Amino acid sequence: MGSSSGLPTKEANVLKGHEGAVLAVRFNGDGNYCLSCGKDRTLRLWNPHRGIHIKTYTSHGREVRDVHVTSDNAKLCSCGGDRQIFYWDVSTGRVIRKFRGHDSEVNSVKFNEYGSVVVSAGYDRSVRAWDCRSQSTEPIQIVDTFLDSVMSIWLTKTEIIAGSVDGTVRTFDIRIGRELVDDLGQPVNCISLSNDGNCVLAGCLDSTLRLLDRTTGELLQEYKGHTCKSYKMDCCLTNTDAHVAGGSEDGYIFFWDLVEASVVSKFRAHGSVVTSVAYHPKDSCMLTSSVDGTVKVWKS
Amino acid sequence: MDEGEEDFVFYGTPIEREEETSRRKRKAVADAGQMRSLPVWKQEVTDEEGRRRFHGAFTGGFSAGYYNTVGSKEGWTPQTFTSSRKNRAEVKKQSIYSFLDDDEKAELGGHGLETSLQFDTFGFTAAEVARKQAEKEQQMRPSAIPGPAPDEIVLPATNSIGVKLLLKMGWRHGHSIKSSHTGKLYDARREARKAFLALSGNDDSSEIAELEPSKVDSQNLLERHNDSAQGFGSTPVFVLEPKKDLHGLGFDPFKNAPEFRERKALHTSGSKDPGTRNASRKGGLFVTNCKFLSGKLAPGFGIGALEEADIEDEDIYASNFEFEEPYVEEAEQPLRIEQDSKLRLTQKEHNVIRGFKAASNADYNTERFRPPVIPPDFQPHHKFLVPLQVLSKLGNLPPPPEAPAPEEKDLKLLIDGFATLVARCGKLYEDLSRDKNKANPLFSFLSGGKGHDYYARKLWEEQQKRPDHREPQVDGHQRASSVRKMTAESRGRILGEKPLKRSDDSSAPSPPTSKQAIQLQYNLSDSFTTPESLAGLPESVKPFRDDPMKQARFEQFLKDKYQGGLRSTYAAGNSTMTEADRARERLDFEAAAEALSQGKPQRTPQAQPLPLVAMQFVSGGAEKTYSTQHEAAAVAAVAAAAEKNSYPKREEFQWRPSPVLCKRFDLVDPFMGKPPPLPRARSKVETLIIMPEVFKSKFEEAADSGRDTPASSRSEMPDQIAIPEADSQPEVAITERPVDLYKAIFSEDDEDGDDEEEDDNPADNPAAGGGMKAEGGNTTLNRLIAGDFLQSLGQELGLEVPELPPLSSSRKPAPAAISGEPVLLPPPGRGRGKTEVNLPGPSEGSSPAAGAGDFSEQKKQRRTHSGHRRSASDGSDSESSQSDGGGGGGSRSDSDSRRKKRSSHRSRKRSSKHRERSKSRGSPSRRSSHGGGGREERRSRGDHGSRSGNHRRHH
Repeated sequence: MGSSSGLPTKEANVLKGHEGAVLAVRFNGDGNYCLSCGKDRTLRLWNPHRGIHIKTYTSHGREVRDVHVTSDNAKLCSCGGDRQIFYWDVSTGRVIRKFRGHDSEVNSVKFNEYGSVVVSAGYDRSVRAWDCRSQSTEPIQIVDTFLDSVMSIWLTKTEIIAGSVDGTVRTFDIRIGRELVDDLGQPVNCISLSNDGNCVLAGCLDSTLRLLDRTTGELLQEYKGHTCKSYKMDCCLTNTDAHVAGGSEDGYIFFWDLVEASVVSKFRAHGSVVTSVAYHPKDSCMLTSSVDGTVKVWKS
Repeated sequence: MDEGEEDFVFYGTPIEREEETSRRKRKAVADAGQMRSLPVWKQEVTDEEGRRRFHGAFTGGFSAGYYNTVGSKEGWTPQTFTSSRKNRAEVKKQSIYSFLDDDEKAELGGHGLETSLQFDTFGFTAAEVARKQAEKEQQMRPSAIPGPAPDEIVLPATNSIGVKLLLKMGWRHGHSIKSSHTGKLYDARREARKAFLALSGNDDSSEIAELEPSKVDSQNLLERHNDSAQGFGSTPVFVLEPKKDLHGLGFDPFKNAPEFRERKALHTSGSKDPGTRNASRKGGLFVTNCKFLSGKLAPGFGIGALEEADIEDEDIYASNFEFEEPYVEEAEQPLRIEQDSKLRLTQKEHNVIRGFKAASNADYNTERFRPPVIPPDFQPHHKFLVPLQVLSKLGNLPPPPEAPAPEEKDLKLLIDGFATLVARCGKLYEDLSRDKNKANPLFSFLSGGKGHDYYARKLWEEQQKRPDHREPQVDGHQRASSVRKMTAESRGRILGEKPLKRSDDSSAPSPPTSKQAIQLQYNLSDSFTTPESLAGLPESVKPFRDDPMKQARFEQFLKDKYQGGLRSTYAAGNSTMTEADRARERLDFEAAAEALSQGKPQRTPQAQPLPLVAMQFVSGGAEKTYSTQHEAAAVAAVAAAAEKNSYPKREEFQWRPSPVLCKRFDLVDPFMGKPPPLPRARSKVETLIIMPEVFKSKFEEAADSGRDTPASSRSEMPDQIAIPEADSQPEVAITERPVDLYKAIFSEDDEDGDDEEEDDNPADNPAAGGGMKAEGGNTTLNRLIAGDFLQSLGQELGLEVPELPPLSSSRKPAPAAISGEPVLLPPPGRGRGKTEVNLPGPSEGSSPAAGAGDFSEQKKQRRTHSGHRRSASDGSDSESSQSDGGGGGGSRSDSDSRRKKRSSHRSRKRSSKHRERSKSRGSPSRRSSHGGGGREERRSRGDHGSRSGNHRRHH
């Protein structure tokens, strides 16, 4: 690879509808739909490939910071400023349950593989796991070893991985009962797993993305050039794991070569901070969201 | 609210639903949502239409009715029994019909259309006819069995007309229907099939037959027969095997030992083989077969097929041959078996379980690799790497060209230090660290990256310097050292092992400090002395010269800092210090270390040669220590730079996923549901009761290990440990205790309140110790002093400025308080909480308020600052930022700078600490001292956590 030919640099669609900043945009499991959420306290379901707005989910009382869909596309979970995790039914658009317990804003939320557990990460320095199957409103697990706000969370089949402002990426291995703490020395803003599951990409607040080997905790590569100092921003790897994609506070999108860490491509995507990037699981297609209130769909 | 009605349909026309149904449905869903939050007994079960279902017995249990599947309006309502004089209840006679459904009745009584006898080609009804015939006959003549024999038992054998026809045409049972036999081969085929079934009944035999192409003609025959037989798919006649053994029904004595079944089969079928084939071959076949089986097949599977074949051949086709034969043959057998197995690898498709087909393309091929070719000039001898000094005579190499130092100061520092090190320790060290730091971009100068030239030059320079002072010491002490073989020490050195500390007084120049020697790992590469005397830092590097104790602690600190690993705590000496002092001192140390590491580079390389020349003929040991000192400093510098770049660091802890979580993730609980070890050994009351013993037993322990005692015990009794060190009279403490006990039991205070009392009481002890009695006045005085102290502490910790003038002034006036301090002091976080909440009088007001005020100031500034930023970037933020007031800049948005900013976060945290005691924890550390600060924080958190039962970090 190495060339920027296959990269999604052409704007295919602009999804307009959010009033105010869009804080996160996520593909669903198969990449046919996407969800965005933002400061206007709504979640929106789109068909990004056709540029159609499908549905709006309103119930949040504060800004919505993150959203995730189950693999069967039946349920949503979202979180944000109102300290609760909302568990939605996708088709009816109703909130099935709300999980209360975080002492502060919730930054990130994810379903597990089976859609039976929601794991959330909050500003209150904790990661909490909520059971969608039982009636209990209590979290089934609270991890509070973090020293600072937990910004981002990721689940594998057996692990919970979370990145925190205390500079650590912590991996909680449920199978072994072990917590691995990788101290990066810089506040971690966002984490993202490579598609092969072997590496973690951690976006740090010193305007650097760091690629860690998960088994050894070794720092494999650093990606620089963009600005990321004060906003919650996303980063991700492309579907082929050949490039690293990330936004910048000046509205640019950066693509780095995974191995050489050279900036392969860089273009201005938005007028303002790029808050989130999401990559299609299979195709060369990318979503970006921005404070300017738009979600853009990029294809090659 | 109409979102639910939104249209998802892109193609075609949506089906109109009944308005009413959908509304009800929606209500049902909505209810379901609310319902979940209700307790179980209040929840209702409804069907998809939203109607109530499942009534309890008291709320209409019998109203099940139509709705709930009974099928009648009455539901399960029992028929009431009525009987009156006029209307007698009649005893109903129940027949089977009263229990049958309508369709069942129809089935039972109905006579459907059936094929008439005449046209029943396949004889379904022929049996019936025959039976009737027989009945008729029986009517005619007297039967052997008196009375009517049950028809079901006496069944005349009949065949369908089709079978009869076929039989007439020459077909026999068990044969395939085929135009004609291939004449002359017919007999042979029969033989072959018999043999086949007798042998194994599965395809193995055919495989084996193929494997032996050079066999007698009869075998070819056999082979062909096999093919043909298979091809026509003739159905073997299934003959029931009469039970001949004495085992129970279904018992299989060979279940777990199929080999013996073979043997048995051999045994029984042994001597009857129609003799076209030579027995020897067959024997061999059996052997391979056996091996194959026992080696490959698991008991229970695959054997079944074989077993059946055995059973069949046992009685149908008994064969005639000596089963001793195989043993005779075995001598020549192995070779062939090996061949077979080899071939089997390639011809996998023959080795297929019956009913399965071999895949046309295998998923994997066994790849075989040739052994590596050894180059002709290879010598089977390993040469050990010899340290650089020995290998390369210095000066032999041309000096590398002068290179400019890299711009980055850090890098230059690192390279300088590293070059010095390598010059000392030899190339080996370079190689080692190159290996180790391969991934670290900072060390890229080792492998030709940025700064490599400079490094090469520097290294050369250092090496030039080296021999000057290396020579004499080699002369003086051990000439052999450079040439020597690998010894235990050198090996240990290479492996990075630490030599044991030598007993101290031998080489200690400065008495108090020598004990706290720094033992940097790098020093170990030194050859002669154990470089234990870090007494170590040259005078110029001793920032705390005037206070030897402090200097000692500083060195300990350096050691901890640069050696990595968990910083235990300060080991000794600090027992008399308060937490506050400790915190401040740490800040001092950090600063000093920083200054040290920055001032170092100028000093080390240049300053080194001079004294060394002068000391050329001084005994090597002393000189060594001196250079060691320099080196230590240089190393410290390097390590400081390295530490900055040594991220990411990995640590590992135990973590307990909750059983439910494991279940939901579909994983096995790694702890198998075992509860975590008890968070605390004793309850509070117990602790208090047992106190004296604990106290005594802990005494030595505490004295030895300082604060290294596990946090669990520390958290339980911080004051107990502190007491002995505070050098108060234990007896007094004990006599004081009961009061505490009562208080602990009867007072209404919360835990923290109790704690404080515990904390307070020891404060009395020193005073009591002084006067041997605790007087009320004294106590109150002490309390006042304590309050005073806490106040100042709050001031000190609340403020961020680390460079406050030493606390001593505020402490001086009360000598009693000094000795009491460690006792008094709870962990900083808690202490602060207390100043705010509990302390009476003078201590209460000012300090926390001042601190908070300060914070709010900072906050305000920051907010205005970030507000500017935001308005520049994102105008839409303003409303939410206003809506959230108190939380130190509270929740704005993701796009808000505050949230991400670490410093501001800290400040918020700090301010929130004043509000919520439960969260309070002392983190006087700044961001830069993250490692230490974090740990400190964690420790205090650990204390906190152990209270609430969370304990694991310390196990």
